[in-house]
Amino acid sequence: MLLNLAWKNIWRNKKRSLIIITAITLGLWAGLFSVAVMIGSWDTTVNSTIDRNLSHIQIHTKEFKDESLTSHFIPGGNKLAEDIRNYENVKDVTARVLIEGMASSPSSSRGVNIIGVDPSREKNVTTIADYITEGEYFNGIKRNPILVGEKLADKLGLKLRSKMVLSFQSIDTTLTYAAFRIVGIYKTESSIFDESNVFVRKSDLYNSMNSDFIVNEIAIRLNSSEDLDSTQAILKENYSPLVVESWKDLAPELEMMYQYLIVEMQIFLAIIMAALLFGITNTMLMSVLDRVREFGVLLAVGMKRGRVFSLIMIETIILSLVGGIIGMIFGTFTIWYFSDKGIDLSLFSEGLSSWGMPTILYPILPLYFYGVLTSMIVITGILAAIWPSIKTIKLRPADAIRTYG
Amino acid sequence: MSLIELKKVTKIYDDTAVEVKALNDVDIKIEKEEFTAIVGPSGSGKTTMLNIIGGLDKPTSGNIVINDTDISTFKTDKMIDFRLHNIGFVFQAYNLIPVFTAKENVEFIMLLQGIEKDERERNAIELLNAVNLADRINSRPSELSGGQQQRVAVARALASKPSFVLADEPTANLDSVTANNLLDIMEKLNKENKMTFIFSTHDARVIKRAHRVVTLRDGAIESDKITENATANAT
Repeated sequence: MLLNLAWKNIWRNKKRSLIIITAITLGLWAGLFSVAVMIGSWDTTVNSTIDRNLSHIQIHTKEFKDESLTSHFIPGGNKLAEDIRNYENVKDVTARVLIEGMASSPSSSRGVNIIGVDPSREKNVTTIADYITEGEYFNGIKRNPILVGEKLADKLGLKLRSKMVLSFQSIDTTLTYAAFRIVGIYKTESSIFDESNVFVRKSDLYNSMNSDFIVNEIAIRLNSSEDLDSTQAILKENYSPLVVESWKDLAPELEMMYQYLIVEMQIFLAIIMAALLFGITNTMLMSVLDRVREFGVLLAVGMKRGRVFSLIMIETIILSLVGGIIGMIFGTFTIWYFSDKGIDLSLFSEGLSSWGMPTILYPILPLYFYGVLTSMIVITGILAAIWPSIKTIKLRPADAIRTYG
Repeated sequence: MSLIELKKVTKIYDDTAVEVKALNDVDIKIEKEEFTAIVGPSGSGKTTMLNIIGGLDKPTSGNIVINDTDISTFKTDKMIDFRLHNIGFVFQAYNLIPVFTAKENVEFIMLLQGIEKDERERNAIELLNAVNLADRINSRPSELSGGQQQRVAVARALASKPSFVLADEPTANLDSVTANNLLDIMEKLNKENKMTFIFSTHDARVIKRAHRVVTLRDGAIESDKITENATANAT
């Protein structure tokens, strides 16, 4: 009956209750959607970074980490890549040659990272093939094909099938020049990446450098990112003293961005909850003040203060939960809709690409977050009810009964 | 042993600029089955006396003994519990819970006492029958007239099976016919159910029916008279 009374009391002043329920609904909806957008933007950025070139785990020599010289290669690197390919949880592995060099066109030259890859393996580990906007992925040009970023091609004034000269230091420190022809132009979310990385076949580099089949980097793609930590730990143990790093180690800025995001989310939610707290407290105070005489009567006829306290608590929690549930339904629907369609931010593509962020954003919200937000709403409701409840149980029935209202 | 005994009860209100002595050294005993009216002009202390008997207010000094229990020193929650099981209240403005039906209003007191649902419902219907409201048990206060609401309030006051009922100006908002109907019911409950009623009133209709009239003036008992109704009632 206490629950029944609380429910009926809420609807005594329909307009007031509906206003506060709407406020809670909007607050929670905005909170859920904003958090989903924040997490979604981070998740999309991380995934695109992993997909683009980073992969889940990379292996290098310690010397290469200290100084990125081609001569600091992984001994037996290709064989090692074959071994790792057989690990459980590993989808595929690519062994790369990394050289810092110069890309020149007749009009200009730029410093670039030359990435020598096995095209078929690379396709299984990264999605660079999917970013091709012109030409094809190592197809159509037989001799020394090269993939370049759109921005680099623009800066060098080159087009598809144009010739580009790469100059770099060989393992024996001699300066090597090799001519390549643009087989494909790619455009990723990151303009910085597009400007500074070119992809060539590893075999072409070996020929140009007249070197053995050296490998500077082994990039590993896992079946699921959930296996990241365990696989990294196994590889670390098995291939010491090589440096085995996950994407979190390789791109600490993403991890930092996540920590920043968490703080930002907490502040954002705290502001929403604080606004709701004041709103609910105000509503409940008005509701209590409207019923001073009634509470006086309840106390007079024998309703214990604890029960009166509970009554106001229940009313507030119901009010918060009704608004919370409706807000959650709206929020879930909105997130579900945009997680499928995506939010098109192409209007801001230039700014976003300099941060390496994709222009289509897919909001996501982990399931546990719904539980967290529901608890936060209930806690906010309880906190909001404390003051009005205390005010009520402090009433002196003899005075309260004589109040007119 | 008297049902209620006030021993040298003084009540001073000192929460305003001017100290007010509402009750001054009052001694009074009220016996079981009485139908007593406490009367007096405004400010004479009759509401204060009723509040103190009902445990809604505490005396500045003196003792209140009800059913041989001194309630003057009871802490708040103990006092609330004591009221729940021993005292029925009827207020001038009815003060029913507006969102509840007549039956639910009566049931609510029994719910607070922890009585099972079936018994609550049965008792509530019986009590509403007793106040001639059998056909309005599912009506909300807003759907009832003033007299009907006050009758629900009487049924609610009796729901806890109290030792006595305190009625503060119960007829003040009612017309003559309705007030007489209400008083008929209360008299009947007094006579047949042996229920003690104590009224704070200056309504002549109540005073006329009272078996005992206690007159207060300036916080002290000016007179305490047994009326001929008491004799008639006894016979």
